[in-house]
Amino acid sequence: MSVQVTVTVGSIVLALILGSVLLAMVGVNPMEAYPSVGALMFFDQWGWQDLFLKMTPLLLTGLGVAIAAQLNLWNIGAEGQLYLGAIATTWLALEFSESLDAHFMLPILLIGTFVAGGMWAAIPAGLRSWFGVNEIITTLLLNYVAISLADYLLYGAWRDPSTLNFPMTRSFGESSYLPMIGSTTVHWGLPLGILLAVLTWILLRSTTIGFQIRVAGDNLSAADYSGFNTKNLLFIVLVLSGAVAALAGMTEVAGIHHRLQQNFSINYGYTGIIVSRLARNHPIGVIGTAFLLAVIFVGGELLQVEYQLPIAVVYLFEGLLLFTVIGSELFLSYRLRRRVAL
Amino acid sequence: MTTPEILTIILTTAVTMGTPLLFATLGGVLSERAGVIHLGMEGIMLVSALVTFVVDLQTGSKVLALIGAMMAAGALSGLHGFVCISLRGNQIASGLALALFGTGLSGLFGDALIGSTVTSLDRIPIPGLELIPILGSAFFNQDWMVYLSYVLVAGLWFMLFHTNWGLQIRSVGEAPIVCDALGLSVAKIRFLCVIFGGMLIGLGGAYFPMVLTSFWVDDLTAGRGWIAVALVIFAFWHPGKALWGAYLFGAAIAFQLQAQVMGLKIPSYILEMFPYLLTIVVLTVVTVRNRRAGQTFMPAALGLPFFRGDKH
Repeated sequence: MSVQVTVTVGSIVLALILGSVLLAMVGVNPMEAYPSVGALMFFDQWGWQDLFLKMTPLLLTGLGVAIAAQLNLWNIGAEGQLYLGAIATTWLALEFSESLDAHFMLPILLIGTFVAGGMWAAIPAGLRSWFGVNEIITTLLLNYVAISLADYLLYGAWRDPSTLNFPMTRSFGESSYLPMIGSTTVHWGLPLGILLAVLTWILLRSTTIGFQIRVAGDNLSAADYSGFNTKNLLFIVLVLSGAVAALAGMTEVAGIHHRLQQNFSINYGYTGIIVSRLARNHPIGVIGTAFLLAVIFVGGELLQVEYQLPIAVVYLFEGLLLFTVIGSELFLSYRLRRRVAL
Repeated sequence: MTTPEILTIILTTAVTMGTPLLFATLGGVLSERAGVIHLGMEGIMLVSALVTFVVDLQTGSKVLALIGAMMAAGALSGLHGFVCISLRGNQIASGLALALFGTGLSGLFGDALIGSTVTSLDRIPIPGLELIPILGSAFFNQDWMVYLSYVLVAGLWFMLFHTNWGLQIRSVGEAPIVCDALGLSVAKIRFLCVIFGGMLIGLGGAYFPMVLTSFWVDDLTAGRGWIAVALVIFAFWHPGKALWGAYLFGAAIAFQLQAQVMGLKIPSYILEMFPYLLTIVVLTVVTVRNRRAGQTFMPAALGLPFFRGDKH
């Protein structure tokens, strides 16, 4: 465990160093930028609240990706699932939020979004389980389809005629707003994500289906020979994965914007892959790594404001971090090997 | 417009739109034949598009721009190779990292370029061949990069299937441990294929500022790199089939554009989904057919890291 922590911290530091070189190339002094961004992020009220707000969708998409990874499936479609979740939430909120109060509205949003995300993920899941179609490609391509669907609705039927320039829906009724925790601006999406992470862990540890998933994840053909229905397992796991990732769309739309608008996701879905990978796909570990990636997001946002850098700086740091993390995995396996040899 | 005229427009656009996909698919084929998945195409294409744009803007030379793009693409692919081959990192994760990193790089350094423009390549008709009805002007009245892509298809096919190098590359992708026992350097061959494959992908990125859009916008390649990743699979890792796959998707994009021009009553955002949905459908058909036939065509060691001294 301590080796893992050392290597992970080492790869984060390396990514920060490499990133600072690139920042220096666009004229930003990293020795000045890192401390000032850090101070704003952790010691300013706006900063730490934003950290928890950014952590929420990253936790949900990361958990979604991690669930699929239990069976060595790659869900690269969390971005599209998030969009679909947001579309489902928006539809429900526009339809019912003025007539229902929050006691009914919030469970409807939660269940509706979960089901919609699951149905969306059932497309690549079904294609994978029954036809053997590569899920990496299908989940990825469906991202573009979901984003186009959101654009179609935003420019068409759902567009609020009173906003002239930016295509967005009208505001939802207040009964569909996710409540805030205490007097902060952090909404209840974060505890929901943590709860789901714990539930996933319990499901994997202590239930029959969790046992089957773990066996099939270790060795799919062994699971086949043991008489588990691995096709069903693949299907269920990928559907669950998409359903959880879709909830990130709900927390963004119902928790923060209270309407659907363009570009509300800053690659939260793709970042979920890094969140999961960094936690080595452990459902509880995802809570910590989602926070880490939130640091990168808020840091990038602050660089945007303070130094007029484009949002791309976030993707740059994410890419670097993922590189250093996978590059460092070799050192972990070397440690294990040597212990086995002794 | 008459039907032949519309057909000519769609075919011509199909070739133009298909060409960047073709370059990238060829690069993917080369890399994956040696056993290394190249998932980071989108990032490589964006960076090489940026380099092309910048070099063209600074020097006015298309050739220098292309060389710069290929060098940048080669360097990024070298990074992918280092992580996957030397450090034995996961190829899919490394490819994703490359896609993000490249998107970040092109966004960060391209920010200052938004609004500038470069000139596009001229069409050079090939005498005689361009006069063939419908097909002539689509295939033989194009810019020189399109002709370069024809040469590369033939060259890569010949190299892979009719030379000793090709045999070695394919063997490394099928059975690296055997190659190692025969004294071939698996790491060296894979590195070369990843880097040269990356350079071909870079040509695909370069095609955007060279021909398709004369001004710089953020996210210039708009997801085409991901379509190329899928194209490698349904080209069965074969350069010749890559040609048809790329033009099929070029045609899907051309149809989408033409439908907008002709004012068909399909909303543009629904049309935008079309190439992606088509990719999924074709991929499914191809997978099912191959499974029925009991063939996969996939290089057997694709995605598996190799390290000398491992016990398999």
